[in-house]
Amino acid sequence: MRRSTESYSGRVSLRVWDLPIRLFHWLLAGLIAFSWWTAEYDHLDWHIWSGCAILTLLIFRLLWGFVGSSTARFRSFIRGPKSVVRYLRGSRWDNIGHTPLGALSVIALLLLLSVQVGLGLIAEDEDGIYFGPLAHLVSTDTSDTAREIHSPNFDLILALIGLHIGAILYYRFARGKRLTLPMITGRARVGAQVPPMQPGKWWAAVLCLAIALGITRWVIAGAPPFGS
Amino acid sequence: MVRTACIALGAIVLLSCSSSKSNQANAASNSVAASAETRTPPKLTHDQALALMKQRNDNMKAMGDAAGKVGKSFQSGSPDLNVIRQAAAQIASLAPKVVSWFPAGTGPDVGKTRAKAEIWQKPEDFASKAHDFSQAAMDFNDAAKLGDMNRIKVTFGAMGKTCKACHDLYRAPEH
Repeated sequence: MRRSTESYSGRVSLRVWDLPIRLFHWLLAGLIAFSWWTAEYDHLDWHIWSGCAILTLLIFRLLWGFVGSSTARFRSFIRGPKSVVRYLRGSRWDNIGHTPLGALSVIALLLLLSVQVGLGLIAEDEDGIYFGPLAHLVSTDTSDTAREIHSPNFDLILALIGLHIGAILYYRFARGKRLTLPMITGRARVGAQVPPMQPGKWWAAVLCLAIALGITRWVIAGAPPFGS
Repeated sequence: MVRTACIALGAIVLLSCSSSKSNQANAASNSVAASAETRTPPKLTHDQALALMKQRNDNMKAMGDAAGKVGKSFQSGSPDLNVIRQAAAQIASLAPKVVSWFPAGTGPDVGKTRAKAEIWQKPEDFASKAHDFSQAAMDFNDAAKLGDMNRIKVTFGAMGKTCKACHDLYRAPEH
């Protein structure tokens, strides 16, 4: 039996990704595309809203990574470098959720996106007309520099997204492992020996979302008392 | 010997007379031909063009930075009238000169610039948009002098629109 398909080739259809994670994933993908489009075609007012929406998602994901379902929790998939090496060397991985290698990619993407949002929050456009909501906290030079990094940083994000999609395709066609459908339906065919996903509490999800929205609202208001 | 010298001197005097006469004639015809608005300037050397293009870019950046200071002042929640007045005055001093920064020979074919070739293909439209900007900058400066914050915000917003109107057509993207 090929080790890579062990987890996903069984007869049992089990939940692997909870609803908050799936909503987060696809909303994020859509918002990243929208952010790119609005920047490319000079709709910077929409671009700033899009970035703030991504901020909400990122804060939610961070919180959910501590109180969410078992596959959402960082502790379940963030391992040391040794487990990544072991996974690459071909040892068995009888599990659901992110593989040790996939975990690296997730962390890298979340970090790069956080940097991108952070830069956007303090950036201003070159004509001095559009500002991130926290731009007034820093000097014009800082805002200009933030904008100048914000653009090439997106190229890094794009590279990681390319890697992500490439990996999905590789697993699908070289390893016979379907990954996209489970991220939509939340279910995958898993082997009987796989430990099942422990779902998170729905009220915990609502609470995380409320906190994420609250922080975003505070940021949009300019982070009082530092701003308006 | 003396005769040769006299002829030579005479020739020199005649030649210099005629050349200065033709210069005067040229200058006269130039100023007659030129209208009040589009004085035909002497053709720029490559170095002069590049220097002008650099100065133009610096001036544009200065206006953008000034506008940025105003915007940030609004965003902070307690706008600083001194900052706004200074910025408005700076923009108002530069805005009327915009058209003069784009003489022939300072386009993208000459050197690195974000000015698009369309500026010299549609000079009337470009000049009209530059005029709108200049007018809006004056309005903003007047509002800043008076100190009415509502009026300041309205005129600042209107000025931003004139920046965008020109840039949308005549400025190439950053990358």
